Amino acid sequence: MEGRPSMTVLRSVHRRSLVAAVLAAGLLAGCAGSPSFLEPSSMIASRQAALFRLLLVPSAAVFLLVEGWLIFNVVRFRRRSSDQGLAPQVHGHPALEITWTVLPILLVTALFVLTVGTINAIAAPAGSPQDIRVHVIGHRWWWEFEYPDLHILTANELHVPANAVVQIQVDSVDVIHSFWVPQLSGKVDAIPGQTNELWFRADQPGEYYGQCSEYCGLNHANMRVTVIVDTPQDFDAWVENQQAPPPQPDGELAQKGHDLITQGICSNCHILGLEVPDESHQPSPAEAAGVRSHVGPNLNHLLSRSMIAGETIELTEANLASWLTQNQVMKPGNDMVVNLTDEDVAALMAYLKTLK
Amino acid sequence: MSTHSAALTRAEAFSQSRLGSWIMTVDHKRIGILYMGTAFAYFIVGGAFALLMRLQLAQPNGTVLSNADYDQVFTMHGTTMIFLVVMPFWAGLGNYLVPLMIGARDMAFPKLNALSYWLFLAGGLFMYSSFAFGGAPDAGWFSYAPLTEKIFSRGLGMDFWALSILILGISTTLGSINFIVTVAQLRAPGMTYDRIPVFVWMMVVTSFLAVFSLPSLTAAASLLLLDRQVGTHFYLGGQGGNALLWQHLFWFFGHPEVYILILPAFGIVSEVVPVFSGKPLFGYKVVVLSGMVIGLLGFTVWAHHMFATGMPVLSLLFFSADSFLIGVPTGVKIFAWLGTMTGGRIRLQTPMLFAIGHVALFLLGGLSGIHLAVVPVDWQLTDTYYVVGHIHYVLFGGAIFGLFAGLYYWMPKITGRTLSEGWGKVHFWLMFIGMNLVFFPMHILGLLGMPRRIYRYDVGHGWDTWNLLMTVGAFIVALSIVVFAVNFLLAWRQRPAAADDPWDAFTLEWATSSPPPPHNFDRLPEVRSARPLWDRKHPQQADWRREESPAV
Repeated sequence: MEGRPSMTVLRSVHRRSLVAAVLAAGLLAGCAGSPSFLEPSSMIASRQAALFRLLLVPSAAVFLLVEGWLIFNVVRFRRRSSDQGLAPQVHGHPALEITWTVLPILLVTALFVLTVGTINAIAAPAGSPQDIRVHVIGHRWWWEFEYPDLHILTANELHVPANAVVQIQVDSVDVIHSFWVPQLSGKVDAIPGQTNELWFRADQPGEYYGQCSEYCGLNHANMRVTVIVDTPQDFDAWVENQQAPPPQPDGELAQKGHDLITQGICSNCHILGLEVPDESHQPSPAEAAGVRSHVGPNLNHLLSRSMIAGETIELTEANLASWLTQNQVMKPGNDMVVNLTDEDVAALMAYLKTLK
Repeated sequence: MSTHSAALTRAEAFSQSRLGSWIMTVDHKRIGILYMGTAFAYFIVGGAFALLMRLQLAQPNGTVLSNADYDQVFTMHGTTMIFLVVMPFWAGLGNYLVPLMIGARDMAFPKLNALSYWLFLAGGLFMYSSFAFGGAPDAGWFSYAPLTEKIFSRGLGMDFWALSILILGISTTLGSINFIVTVAQLRAPGMTYDRIPVFVWMMVVTSFLAVFSLPSLTAAASLLLLDRQVGTHFYLGGQGGNALLWQHLFWFFGHPEVYILILPAFGIVSEVVPVFSGKPLFGYKVVVLSGMVIGLLGFTVWAHHMFATGMPVLSLLFFSADSFLIGVPTGVKIFAWLGTMTGGRIRLQTPMLFAIGHVALFLLGGLSGIHLAVVPVDWQLTDTYYVVGHIHYVLFGGAIFGLFAGLYYWMPKITGRTLSEGWGKVHFWLMFIGMNLVFFPMHILGLLGMPRRIYRYDVGHGWDTWNLLMTVGAFIVALSIVVFAVNFLLAWRQRPAAADDPWDAFTLEWATSSPPPPHNFDRLPEVRSARPLWDRKHPQQADWRREESPAV
């Protein structure tokens, strides 16, 4: 009991220093655990973080100058009862006025030079055959990832190997979205009818959080992305798994589920695996133009992902089964509007859970 | 004939009734009061929307609002505050003050002036009537296409939005032309262009900005209506249209709009700081000129809102450089206010507190604006809470603090009643503390990766504590507005007994009674400098003496 008061004091001191530490960490060092570019994992984000920290120096100087002068004015020139007569009627001082016009011009010129330098430093390198190429397509409200060289089509979880240049093309099939994984690179808008480019090279394996950052309607908050940076070995294993065609259904129930997906109501929006084009494959005009008929994610290898619903709900069998009937509660307003019977759900689950 | 004259008599009787005299008025002072009163009512509604948002975001995965409700709330918050609060409040204050400050009898076109007000009221009510027709607009205050197209926004909300914007645009355009002509034509004898009060100058610059930028918004909204109602494809990329066309058209209006919102506040501060420092404005000509430069540069920076849209590097550099440059004339103004205070006899009454608050807070908005002009940093921070923090330091710290500086300053003139200093100081400190609590953490959240316009967020990103703190701050700001309302009502119950010149001020509006008679001035003071009232009170140290023999 006796220890209580001192504990409280200690705790409050501790809390105060904690607040100061959080402030300092948040502003200067980045905050561990946050998807922040101040905690960078690529050269691009590192350069952006360094530039931002550098900006804080002249900003702090100007801040201190102006607020300091303001406070000085209030303290020093506040009218006192002893004040006699009028203040000296000074109308201006041309030399001073020129000074505080010219100095800021010099300052912003310096900032502009830094800006140009960083833009050049983080510009995309020339393409090389070793690059991982990804086509990122924004949908309401999920991200689709197509690897044109690897014949992989997946959603919401982007796998890339560490220390490889990832060249990304970004566009959208509906409204404007913005692709942003702060620790890896800045954002670039996904604009219907326009293809934008982005690149990064992740420094080390890990999982990086991002989310759509251009308001795109009801589920803008639920349009998230995880970039999973693998070791080269893990990435190769992932690619090999993703390239496998969908498994044959095992048993009658699974067959029914499979048929719902490929021919039934699910096929209105979803696809199951990509047809690997052979040498003789002639793309249809629609395919060549990049027009997609599917509006939902590729279901093949669904269980290789860890989340569903735009990376907002953990992918467990229970959640997946709930999603089939309760998705309008779990992600209100999403485009999946279906009425499935219990038998349908059982059949779908029997097949879906084999899509590792 | 007899029915005709009976109708005339009825109309006359109505226009002399208490209600009718306000509805039929073409007096710039009454129209000004109507504008400001209506804007304040919208301010309460827009503020209530802000509180709803803060309740929803106080905790992770908030459930106060559904996603559909949240989208309408943030859209109507921004739309209301910009189009129905700050812009019309300046129109109202300008209406009241511009003729008085230049020694005119009224605005140049009194009936057009009344039309501007009624169009503003109608545009706002029309926008709000959307709630009764299946939902308010929900695409954000800048309503990016193609989200606003019929296929993605099926209700009537966006039609209401676009039509209201057109109505409000006509209102603002008429009002702006009225200001320009009034100042060009109706100045008192001796009121040359270098003697016009800075607030009036800023209303003129603002009016030019509105006249030249609104056509772009009008075009944008018209094309949107065509897309939605007629089936054209102006904003549908891949179908012959271009999704980015909206952004160019909107921001060509939208950036000058920011200066439309802030320049009148600069004008107010340029009036209040000299009076309460007992000194003339430090570098009058440079302050006026910097306002014009800000206005001109404001037309050339619109694409800095679009750095992440995949612009060519050359465009990035142009818009970045231009945006940096705007910092220079803005800095000139801040230094001019500081220079005015230095060596003065500063009276820290409520108008001055709000003016000082404006300088202290707007500075942060200016600095974060410079950060956002740094393209590689903007690629990280655009569309995050950093930008939300930036605009609120500019528009709340800048515009709203300027607005209250003006309200406390001109309240005795407009109503003949003086707001209480004690309550005024409580209002100021609550608002100052509350606004920093709600808006400063926004910068940190932006740096920590929180995008704007999300109705919920998960735990584990380090965003929770800041959001809770912001909600507390928002309610402190709301409390400060309650204090202001109490202060206002207490003042309203007084007898109008304010002195004609309670602050020992410099400009013409203080040379008439409080409130002024319908014809404004019984007799105009001689105008021989930018401070005619000072000259009259201090004939031995009159400014015009200095102008005649430039000694300083």
